[in-house]
Amino acid sequence: MKRFCLALVMVLLVTSAAAAQQIRIGGHGGNDTIIVEEMIELFVRPALEGTGITVQYEPVADDYQRFIVNALSAGTAPDLFYMDIFWAGSLIRSGAVEPLNDYLEKSTVLKAEDFIPSLVDAFTVDGQVYGIPKDFNTLALFYNKDLFDYAGVEYPSNDDTWDTLYEKLEKVASIDPDIYGLALQPEFARFGALAYAAGFTPFNAEGKTDLSDPAFVDAFKWYTGMAETGVGVMPADISQGWGGGALASEQVAAALEGAWIIGALKGDAPNLQYGATLMPKHPETGQRGNLIFTVAWGMNAASPNKDAAFRVLEILTSEEVQQWVLERGLAIPSREALADNPYFQQDHAEAHANHVVFLGASDGNVLPYSFGTYGGDWMQPIDQALAAVMSKQATVEEALQQAQAQLDALMGR
Amino acid sequence: MPDLQRRRWANAAAVYCFLLLLSILFMGPFLFAFLSSLKDNPTEWPPSLTVNQLRPANWAASYRLAKQGGGSGLWGGLAPGGSIDFEITYWTEEGREPAPPEVVIPKRVQGGAAAALSVEHWAADYVEVVGPYEISREPDQGGVLTTYSFTLVNKGDVPLKEVPMDLTVPMRQEFVSATLSPNRIERLGRTQSWNNVSSGLLPYVFSNYARVFRENYSVSTGKRLFLLWIRNSFFLAVTRVVTTLVFASMAGYALARLRFRGRNAVFGLLLFSMMIPQQVTFISNYLVLRDGVFGLSRLVGVPTLLNTYSGLIISGLVGASSVFIMKQFFERLPASLEESARIDGASTYTIFFRIFLPLAKPPLGALTILTFQGVWNEFFWPLVVITSPADKYPLTIGLLNLQRTYGAATFDWGPILAGTFISALPIIVLFIAFQQYFVEGISFSGNKE
Repeated sequence: MKRFCLALVMVLLVTSAAAAQQIRIGGHGGNDTIIVEEMIELFVRPALEGTGITVQYEPVADDYQRFIVNALSAGTAPDLFYMDIFWAGSLIRSGAVEPLNDYLEKSTVLKAEDFIPSLVDAFTVDGQVYGIPKDFNTLALFYNKDLFDYAGVEYPSNDDTWDTLYEKLEKVASIDPDIYGLALQPEFARFGALAYAAGFTPFNAEGKTDLSDPAFVDAFKWYTGMAETGVGVMPADISQGWGGGALASEQVAAALEGAWIIGALKGDAPNLQYGATLMPKHPETGQRGNLIFTVAWGMNAASPNKDAAFRVLEILTSEEVQQWVLERGLAIPSREALADNPYFQQDHAEAHANHVVFLGASDGNVLPYSFGTYGGDWMQPIDQALAAVMSKQATVEEALQQAQAQLDALMGR
Repeated sequence: MPDLQRRRWANAAAVYCFLLLLSILFMGPFLFAFLSSLKDNPTEWPPSLTVNQLRPANWAASYRLAKQGGGSGLWGGLAPGGSIDFEITYWTEEGREPAPPEVVIPKRVQGGAAAALSVEHWAADYVEVVGPYEISREPDQGGVLTTYSFTLVNKGDVPLKEVPMDLTVPMRQEFVSATLSPNRIERLGRTQSWNNVSSGLLPYVFSNYARVFRENYSVSTGKRLFLLWIRNSFFLAVTRVVTTLVFASMAGYALARLRFRGRNAVFGLLLFSMMIPQQVTFISNYLVLRDGVFGLSRLVGVPTLLNTYSGLIISGLVGASSVFIMKQFFERLPASLEESARIDGASTYTIFFRIFLPLAKPPLGALTILTFQGVWNEFFWPLVVITSPADKYPLTIGLLNLQRTYGAATFDWGPILAGTFISALPIIVLFIAFQQYFVEGISFSGNKE
């Protein structure tokens, strides 16, 4: 028995020593698997040569958020992992994510100041940085040049306000009853950018949401009004699932989407002649609004190899990796210095659109796509109100009243 | 008399019509999904039955084009120095001068940015377009039909797998027909676009199926993931079938035929474990695997059984219901069989292996099929146990991964549908081949596993 115990202890010691420098990285499955593994192969492995640190990517095929929350509480989570802005807040508050300030101070290559401030702010809680943004997206106005040419209307531009854009879209929509100006998803994830432009904030000084805010009502009426006049259409009404699908079908002249639309258009409508401009300005405030969608690398607070993990983090967010990601058209980098990258100056639609999305993060009223601890529950009443009004099941007043009541109930919990 | 006969015929007709209707109801969605899995745009609305991939003219053309390009007619390719002749016809109204199309070989690959990482040679860098030349012009219903021809030549020294092509003409010049039907028509009718003009017959007809295999590969090992997933599922299913047959028959025999103390208690426990819903034991099973079956696996140097096949196999060695099926079967065999063998001096093992096991072919067949089918379709437990890398996934988890790959921004349903069909195939084959065992299996256990 004694010998048996001894053997057991020996085995334990050997296995734990061997596993000491293995850094596990958790992220999305699918396309990300190929991209991150390629990234590790090209940059991380060579840089870690001789340090004894090995890196393994663990893609999650299933719902990622559920996986990471479960894994963190079960103690099986990877050392570094994707952290979406949409739910990062509650994860950080739970204490499962390692604050990075101490590491950043010691580091010679990774500085929080090198990244776009609004992105870093999104992952900063009480002065502590919890995530290094890996890439991001904002909304832009994507339009079909052919339809504008056909209608003889000038393309949308960065100078457009809501009013001038509306006029242009109206002219395009008048070509044919089956052609519409703008794809109107009944989602705060699109409409929110307009509400922010008008000066709306999700939570007022008392931490409550006020949908009777004139700024919100103004944006709501402009957005839903287009469905009523036929200048815009909900993608579902032309049997499409989202704005990108609607744009690809050539029945809609413009859509509010992020850079994710570029990859989708390449597959669905590779020859679509599209252009992109910044979101339209609000006619009175003169401001644009935007939402920031971003994913950061977070570190597991319970990781046994934090220093090694930070070393890997330094490489993953380095300028050369981000440059590679950008040039391959995989994502938009989070480093401020890459704003002047020659890639953005190239003369083709894809590079131009990526640049517009990149600029969207620092122009006007830009807020992260996250709603405190409420998450998606906060948006749901507004999404329903948008859908109800645009499908003519309720008036603006009725819909907003009902949404307000639902939000009050949610916040009163 | 003829009245009775007529009524009998009418009854038979009614029954047949009813059965026909039922089978259409059941098979209809299945066939429709299969049809959709061939289309370029599986979600087109309203759905049409004239699918490009099912037109014999396109079959012939895709075979001929690939053959002409120096590749295999079935599998496609454009060999170095190979060329492809292409013809296309447009209609223009009277008085408008038809213009030759602008031919472009774009740098494009199906499957997005990740798929583009795997492309070694772009056709755009090697293929030269000769033409287009106008070859005929004939009047047609108030307009003119003009046909152009051009040739694509591979000037490089590498064989090309994919040659995408786009043709663009001025507005109001309508596309009529081409050597091979285009995969999509864009820009208000101006642009005709092909994914691959040298695809060959099989990748043309089953393009979504080919994509599933081609676009899912592992960067670290370079292997095709979808093939690996199929192999993994087969491995798991076969292993579990073997362990189930061995343990279920032995345990069933012991419970049915051997007299030992605590037999009833064991049987009671067995029944009890069948009554507990899986969800209840789920977390404890997970913890047992995490700690390597109470630390036992550490003896062989494995700290945890999570993310290993051993974990999946050990946690599913045999199900209580399988033991139950075998026990019920062995109990029904006459006692005289065993007794006469004993008189001849046979040991318990001899009796089991030589007499009882050969008699148990029907329930073993049923168990094989039920277990295979169960493991092949198992989803939740493997999802929890097997996490990474993607090379290790069984097919069901692989399909979930497809949803991520092709559902990032917009759903690319083609490959997802195709993948689902491939995963259903073995079960369909199994079912057709072993129909009677399925029914027997259900009648043995009283309920399907």
